[in-house]
Amino acid sequence: MTERRTPSIAQVLWKLMRNQPIRYGFALVVWTLIWAMPVLVGLVIAYFFDELASGIEVDTVVLVVVATLAYAIARTVMIFLGMRNHASLLFRAASTMRRNLLLRLYELPGAETLDETPGELVSRFRDDVDHIVEPFDLTVDLAGASVAGVVAFTILFSIDPVITLVISLPVAVVALVANRTGGLVRRYRRHAREATEAITGYLGETFSATQSIKVAGAEETMLLRFQDLNDVRKDMMVRDRTLTETMYAVYRNTINIGTGLILLMAAGRLAATGDAGISIGQFALFVFLLEYVSDAAYFVGVFIARAKQGSVSVDRLTKSLRGEPWSRAFAKTDLHLDGAPPQPEISERSTDPFRSLRVHGLTYHYPGSVNGIEDVDLEIRAGEFVVVTGRIGSGKTTLLRAILGLLPAESGSIVWNDAAVDDPESSMVPPRSAYTPQVPKLFSMTLEDNLVLGDTVPKHLVDESIYIATMQRDIDQMPEGLETMVGPRGVRLSGGQVQRSAGARMLTREPQLLVLDDVSSALDVETEQIMWTRLFNARRDITALVVSHRHAALARADRVIVMHDGRVAATGSAEELQESSERFRAIWEGVLQPVSGR
Amino acid sequence: MIPVRAYFRLFAKYLRPYRRKASLLAIVLFATIALQLANPQLIAEFIDRATEGAEVGELVPLAVAFMVIAIVHQVLLVWATYLAEQVGWSATNQLRADLADHILHLDMGFHKANSPGELIERIDGDVTALSNFFSSMAIKVVGNGLLVVGIIILLWAESWVVGLAITVFTGLTFLGLVRLHGVTVPWHKAIRATSAEMFGFIGEQVDGREDVEANGATAFMVNRFDRIQHKWLPEVVRGWTGWALMWSASMGLYFFSLMIAFVLGAYLFGIGTLTLGSVYLVFQYIGMAHRPIEEIREQLVDLQKAGASIERVEDLFATESRLVQRDERLLPDGPLRLSFEHVTFSYDDEAGDERVLTDVSFDVAPGRVVGLLGRTGSGKSTIARLVTRLYEPQHGAVLVGGIPTWDIQLDDLRKRVAMVTQDVQLFRASIRDNLTFFDDSISDARLEEAIHRLELDEWLSSLPDGLDTMLESGSGGLSAGQAQLLAFTRVFLRDPGVVVLDEASSRLDPSTEALIETAVDHLLENRTAILIAHRLATVARADDIIILDGGRVIEQGDRVALAADPGSVFSHLLVAGMEEALA
Repeated sequence: MTERRTPSIAQVLWKLMRNQPIRYGFALVVWTLIWAMPVLVGLVIAYFFDELASGIEVDTVVLVVVATLAYAIARTVMIFLGMRNHASLLFRAASTMRRNLLLRLYELPGAETLDETPGELVSRFRDDVDHIVEPFDLTVDLAGASVAGVVAFTILFSIDPVITLVISLPVAVVALVANRTGGLVRRYRRHAREATEAITGYLGETFSATQSIKVAGAEETMLLRFQDLNDVRKDMMVRDRTLTETMYAVYRNTINIGTGLILLMAAGRLAATGDAGISIGQFALFVFLLEYVSDAAYFVGVFIARAKQGSVSVDRLTKSLRGEPWSRAFAKTDLHLDGAPPQPEISERSTDPFRSLRVHGLTYHYPGSVNGIEDVDLEIRAGEFVVVTGRIGSGKTTLLRAILGLLPAESGSIVWNDAAVDDPESSMVPPRSAYTPQVPKLFSMTLEDNLVLGDTVPKHLVDESIYIATMQRDIDQMPEGLETMVGPRGVRLSGGQVQRSAGARMLTREPQLLVLDDVSSALDVETEQIMWTRLFNARRDITALVVSHRHAALARADRVIVMHDGRVAATGSAEELQESSERFRAIWEGVLQPVSGR
Repeated sequence: MIPVRAYFRLFAKYLRPYRRKASLLAIVLFATIALQLANPQLIAEFIDRATEGAEVGELVPLAVAFMVIAIVHQVLLVWATYLAEQVGWSATNQLRADLADHILHLDMGFHKANSPGELIERIDGDVTALSNFFSSMAIKVVGNGLLVVGIIILLWAESWVVGLAITVFTGLTFLGLVRLHGVTVPWHKAIRATSAEMFGFIGEQVDGREDVEANGATAFMVNRFDRIQHKWLPEVVRGWTGWALMWSASMGLYFFSLMIAFVLGAYLFGIGTLTLGSVYLVFQYIGMAHRPIEEIREQLVDLQKAGASIERVEDLFATESRLVQRDERLLPDGPLRLSFEHVTFSYDDEAGDERVLTDVSFDVAPGRVVGLLGRTGSGKSTIARLVTRLYEPQHGAVLVGGIPTWDIQLDDLRKRVAMVTQDVQLFRASIRDNLTFFDDSISDARLEEAIHRLELDEWLSSLPDGLDTMLESGSGGLSAGQAQLLAFTRVFLRDPGVVVLDEASSRLDPSTEALIETAVDHLLENRTAILIAHRLATVARADDIIILDGGRVIEQGDRVALAADPGSVFSHLLVAGMEEALA
């Protein structure tokens, strides 16, 4: 079966149903009952009134009360069963999508720019998944409301076809109107949201630029602009809420007008007993059940609106899969929800010693740009310390990323020992190599978890890694040492601490090849010096590929590779290059390095 | 529990201008409730007359009246919503403006400690919660509360027995719901906490893909995802069970009321106290009662949330700027003298050992240009921030035009001392608004004149829509060099006596570089200036040199003299470059 690139919302909902046939089937039965059961209450009330009008017996009252009690108990049980099952059903549907998306995200080259901003991507995981689960949830209600509506309609029709048809008229009109004005509602809602986004955007810009505003003495004019935006939002909000309330009012009025019509048509025919026209019980039943018919019509409208919203989210999710068939996002997967999730598998330490890494003709260009690297050759042998240097934008970081598969090379080959590396992204990882990017990221967990990333690392190795990365003093000062939680819910580390932690993280895996991007933005010259000294004292055989422009690294290098405009401009030891390469001299002699303000 | 008093204390001031609308709202609200209560009476009347065998002509007006009242009720409800939203948003917009005003005038230490995201949440998030509080307070809580009271009163009027029974049950149910609510609140809190953990995790993964993938941690991270889910599911199921509890409780109220109505209805009809229509009326009112109670309960949740918002808003208003103004003197015209006298400064008052500047003294005569050198963290930018009085030194004094900065009227200081930082902040707005900071009183002619005098006409004409060119936020689609040109124009418009210039460190294309050179020449004409230099070429423009290291002045003097002295740090730096020379 060939899959269309973007599925319809119906296809997606069907897939989600088939993923959990038992839970979904159960939900369908229970919720249909929950929706349809109140029809029984109407019948009981109708029976009561008819009996009341014709002189009620005590037995009848007891019967009615007992029936009501039994009903209440049955319904409560249904609600509890239905809710618990539903929670699990919807949670699993959402989790499946989220897990699939996450797995797909890790498959993409890690440094490749995505179409979505990080904020948008999180919103795919959260809001778009929710927007697909919503219509999935409502399918059950839709089924229930429809059954309840049809049952109610059938009962009413059997009592009095004419009245039933007449009161169905406003219901039909409302369903039509709701469908027509749906676009208007959505437009107003969108305008209100945009006005709010304009305000939060403006406030964000204002408070990012507080310093400029203060220095320019521009507080007052900035505030006037804020007030203008606020006024616009007020109008949008009032309009949106008023329209929403109007829509509800119209819907509620169908019941009122229907009731009024029943009154009109029953006038003169309403009798104490039902023989001539309509009995008091039948009248009560009409008024009671009218709500169910109109609820069903209303739910169809709600479902259509949600389904439209859902299909937009389906499009977005499919796009985020970047080329994978759509079913990837919704495919059944083991969520490990029943029983504790198993420990992750961690790669073994390698037994095949590293001999060499050879890169030939490596080429990558950033999409829609001439920037990148072009035809880069490179060889690193075991035990070598190779430094890549060059001006900003010369392709240093791009080179590291392409070797590690974090950017998809357009052409060229990578050979590890003597075997070609076809998929560098999955094979250029520990135990072969480990990497510290220029601006490394730590995650919200304990510092220890951040360092070992799920691996079982002997204590002495952790300690040694921390020592080499000059992180010992920082950890000693933390209240809980290695158990300290990192991130917004724990301790916020400074840029230098993050950089050094990431360095230690790279070392705990004992990789055969260390790949380290420029540390100079977060580490001062002395610290970098100490780090190299410790590294080469502790791990004499280590092989490293490093981006740097500092003497501390360049002077130690077995080989320096000078990059320029994406190509290798010169190669050699620092001494040789000082003689032969003007570009290298410019870097070595340091000109003023870019300095970021405090 | 419900912060009604705190709310009205805060809003007494903000609601006052909307007194008339608020009164109208109250009237409309009362009318909607009266109409809602009236309609079942009409049906009861209709049933009684119909069962007594009244003529059709007598019944039709009742049916029509029912429909009219129903429609009018709905229209009034829409009107009430409109009024409540109007009053709510108008009042809270004023609060937002006051809050933004207050925050913008707080010192930079406050802004450093509070991210823009947090401040957006304070100004818009919290206040919007209060705004919703107002409309829901008016419509849902007061409206529904009155409706329930009305229903109970009318039930008493039909029969005290029914009234009493329903009152007791309604009261008990409401108390039960509030109790249950207390039980389930922590359940929902737990769900939200785990939800925040999950999407925090996702955000970090999106952000740190590179770290995860290149360090072979994907399996570990997927496992963490599974573990968070594993914790989350039981919480979610428990949360839904909480809703089931609530639902059952309010359903219980309905069914108990129904059973009471069956028993009492049959009895009271049997002994002739109630008519058939009255019994029907009781059923109608019972059907009406449980929904408002449910809504009031739901609103209680929001009201509690609003309590936290009110507290945070009041806290913010109570925060005061740490800059203390001692006098309101004005600066003289023309270039200004600039002096630092034994200035010692740290960003955090408490942490005394984290000094950024220690005993810094220097003096710049009016019209002189000083080149400020030093490596990252040596305190260069801090000096700029002290000159513009974004911060105040703990010891010593900063003098502009011979006056300590705390004695100079802040507006005047900011007008006469200008600063251009290397990351120029742009707004998602036109070039014009970016130049004027949204000040409409600055004419295009004035803007064009400033641009012309900086010799930037060519730059202006290169923009697609001239002054109307829209910028995106952040870098605004301008290169770093172009952004600096824009910042120069901002400064030039104000004709300051002191200019502090933090040179852009990123590489510029040659044509922009040439434009900047010319513009800086004009900008520095007849002005006192501090140049924070990242390139040696820039320093050539300076009359004097100050070199900072570790927050201390290690060298200062005439540029030419220092360059000629082979023993000076500056001459060494000219040879070796800054990083290594100062390392």
